[in-house]
Amino acid sequence: MVRLNVIELEKSEYTGGKSSLCPGCGHDQISNNIIQAAWENGIQPEKIAKMSGIGCSSKTPAYFLGKSHGFNTVHGRMPSVTTGANMVNKDLSFLAVSGDGDTASIGIGQFIHVIRRNLDMVYIVENNGVYGLTKGQYSATVEKGSKKKKGVPNQQAPIDLCAMAINLGCSFVARSFSGSKKQLSALIRAAMSHRGMAFIDVISPCVTFANNDESYKSYNYVKANDEVLHILDYIPHFSPLEEVEVPDGEFREVNLFDGSTLRLETVAAEHDYTDAVSALRAIHESEKAERHVTGLLYYDENVPTATDALGLSDTPLVELAEDLLRPSEDSLERVNASFRS
Amino acid sequence: MTALGTKRTMEKTVNDFVINVATANGTGSQTSNLIILHSMFEMGFPVSGKNLFPSNISGLPTWFIIRVSDLGYQAPGDVTNIQVLMNKDTWLKDLEGLEPGAIVVYNEDIKLPVEREDCVLLGMPMTKMARKINPKLGRLIANMYYVGAIAHLLGIDESAIEKAVQVQFKGKEKAVELNMQAISEGISFARENWEFESHFCVESREKNPDSFLIEGNEAVALGAIYGGISMLSWYPITPSSSLAESVIGWLPELRKDGAGGSTCAVIQAEDELAAVGMVLGAGWAGGRGMTCTSGPGISLMSEIIGLFYFSEVPGVIWDVNRVGPSTGLPTRTQQGDLSMLYEASHGDTQHIVLIPGTVDECFEFGWRAFDYAERFQTMVFGFSDLDLGMNRWETTGFQYPDGPMDRGKVIRSQEEMDTIVNYGRYRDVDGDGIPFRTLPGSGLDPILNRGTGHDEDGVYSEDPQVYYDTMERLKRKIDGSRPNLPEPVIREEEDKELGVIFYGSMENTIVEIDDMLGEAGISVSTCRVRALPMHPEVEDFVRRHDMTIVLEINRDGQLFGIIRKEFPTELIPKIHRVAYSDGMPPRARVYSDKILEVLNEVA
Repeated sequence: MVRLNVIELEKSEYTGGKSSLCPGCGHDQISNNIIQAAWENGIQPEKIAKMSGIGCSSKTPAYFLGKSHGFNTVHGRMPSVTTGANMVNKDLSFLAVSGDGDTASIGIGQFIHVIRRNLDMVYIVENNGVYGLTKGQYSATVEKGSKKKKGVPNQQAPIDLCAMAINLGCSFVARSFSGSKKQLSALIRAAMSHRGMAFIDVISPCVTFANNDESYKSYNYVKANDEVLHILDYIPHFSPLEEVEVPDGEFREVNLFDGSTLRLETVAAEHDYTDAVSALRAIHESEKAERHVTGLLYYDENVPTATDALGLSDTPLVELAEDLLRPSEDSLERVNASFRS
Repeated sequence: MTALGTKRTMEKTVNDFVINVATANGTGSQTSNLIILHSMFEMGFPVSGKNLFPSNISGLPTWFIIRVSDLGYQAPGDVTNIQVLMNKDTWLKDLEGLEPGAIVVYNEDIKLPVEREDCVLLGMPMTKMARKINPKLGRLIANMYYVGAIAHLLGIDESAIEKAVQVQFKGKEKAVELNMQAISEGISFARENWEFESHFCVESREKNPDSFLIEGNEAVALGAIYGGISMLSWYPITPSSSLAESVIGWLPELRKDGAGGSTCAVIQAEDELAAVGMVLGAGWAGGRGMTCTSGPGISLMSEIIGLFYFSEVPGVIWDVNRVGPSTGLPTRTQQGDLSMLYEASHGDTQHIVLIPGTVDECFEFGWRAFDYAERFQTMVFGFSDLDLGMNRWETTGFQYPDGPMDRGKVIRSQEEMDTIVNYGRYRDVDGDGIPFRTLPGSGLDPILNRGTGHDEDGVYSEDPQVYYDTMERLKRKIDGSRPNLPEPVIREEEDKELGVIFYGSMENTIVEIDDMLGEAGISVSTCRVRALPMHPEVEDFVRRHDMTIVLEINRDGQLFGIIRKEFPTELIPKIHRVAYSDGMPPRARVYSDKILEVLNEVA
């Protein structure tokens, strides 16, 4: 029997074209998680807008959600294009995919400002530390001392996108690993249930240019050095009892905008996701220990979104009738008269 | 009194003179200048004002040129008839540059020599008098004394002045009273101390009660609001900031829904790259997005402008041209961006450019730009400049759009989709080069829009034939806009000796140029281009004339270059150029002399 989701669609309604990435690429696993998350959450595929910039990661919207409109824009400018689309149609669910080159280098300005605006979108960075499409140059997120097969080691300190996002007041900040299916799926589903900027930095190994074991973003390295903050369970609003067992130990529950819940089961010490300082401490301590901290790092439900802050019409602007977009002829007479007096 | 004017009697010159007011910026002189301008406008004769200001907040030289002309000439004249000296830094140079016979009104409290025996020298202790009525605001109010001086010399109606002061200070009683007192004292001082009767004077004319003065930028802003703009993104840059600020200023009054929500989003972007990206996103999602900028901003936006063109997304960008290249002269005017706009971004591109020459056209093209953008699914430029955008020009009131909005070829339902045979996002199903599109959220035949090569269904493709066909269709699409875009404004003489092609703010100088050439015995037809790609009538105009000169405010003749590229080879030998730019608004004499030079060379 074919399985249907809550809006009675098959999973095939959420798939896309065939991937042309290297076999084993972490990005393909993320695409699969996106398909799974959108299907499980029962989102109308046509209400999703897929956004991306340029790079290996930014090609992936062709490989998922084939029933959704999308825009593969230019390098580093996905956030602004998403902003414009969000302004005129705030009811679309924006799902954006970017890479570490696209976000941490050429697009870092737009990354910063789209967070400051708290645009209502899911922003996934598929972070592998290299420029894949141009054949393996270091990106700005690669660790200091990282060495490719040929050439000199990277000399510069890495940019931690999660730390930046937290410092900028991002309302939802998480880190995950393309190989952690359960954690990543829960985080993407929770991000889709959030209203505002949901940023997920996903470490996604580049099997062609940076999968040597000493590379911090290789499969083996991440598997061995993943510092999991908590076990995650996503409980959708439409099915609160969906196959989720209540954990034996301590847990906290994050109430998301659409009524869904993200349950965080304490692993070692409890992580306070409402405290930016402790989130930043977790990031810096794991960096010092040459490990990757993963999970929901920071969450704040009380940040107004970009469209809230502007006091826009409740109706998405693209749906407004002409008489609301073009003021009346009488009003123009009044405007003219105001200059004559 | 150090320099009293000498009494002279001369024939009166009515409503035909140029005043130049030299001040420093940040001293409040713009208010005084606008009071002079508006009080003259109130008296009903044609008057124009040009603000030559520095890229600075306080202390650098500023000049305000007022041209009064019953013939309607609006360019700065060739000579200054009345010079007001308020700025010590330019004092000597301003004096030196005057023609003999000029009238000099100067602030006596600036202790600098006024050595021009061949001019009429009229001093007034403006700062001292101003401090007497308000010690704190003395520096600002001093400027009102030259308003009084000018009013006395020219005979401006006191009622007209009072009305201009009221408008300028928005009826704030205290400010009106204080400034009127200063102006009155200025008038009295002049009357009592200057034994000089000016031969320049003003006479009231019948004023059209409908007319008013407005800056081009505000006219574009209103046009955009009446064009249904739904998203404005912008990054501050002189001289376009006041365009965005005018939109922001008018939105609360004109663009609220029944529940008080705004029907247009405004975002001050982090830079021009983001501003134009937002316009792209808005247009893709089905909205009417716009940004405004100047040359440096266009340079930054160029990459995404190419994406507009290639992925066929509507959007509007207004370029209020300032002087380039690079940072250039940020507060001076030029038509130096035209060729950049027409072919902005890498690879083969071609963009629609609307070129208003009056504030009425600023308003009209402000709303029409959105219709063209959605009809042709492309980025449309509005091309204004600092002179048109930031100076005040006359209109009798803006005309309401003459038809409903043109939302272009958008499929909004499955039923509409079913009527199209073999739909593809980039398939030309009806021969006009414009494909149909669907919007995100509709679920109708979605594609991943992209800047990479794509076939008629929007699927990635590097196929040579597919690329070639796409580029040919795009060419056909934009070429197809020619007859639909604003047609040129042609004023044609019977004898088709010389045709002058020009565009944009040169409109405000062309009549004077025409008259000067007429005095030299040359009959001139004129053709004002109002859009790129050019309307077919422009070529016909060239064909009908023995010789054509393309007149432009830039160095190289940018429209001339476009014409040479696009017009048939046999027409090229009779097309010539006069291109000149020094940052100043065009002065008629400069251009008419250059036209005469070209005529001599050709002869």
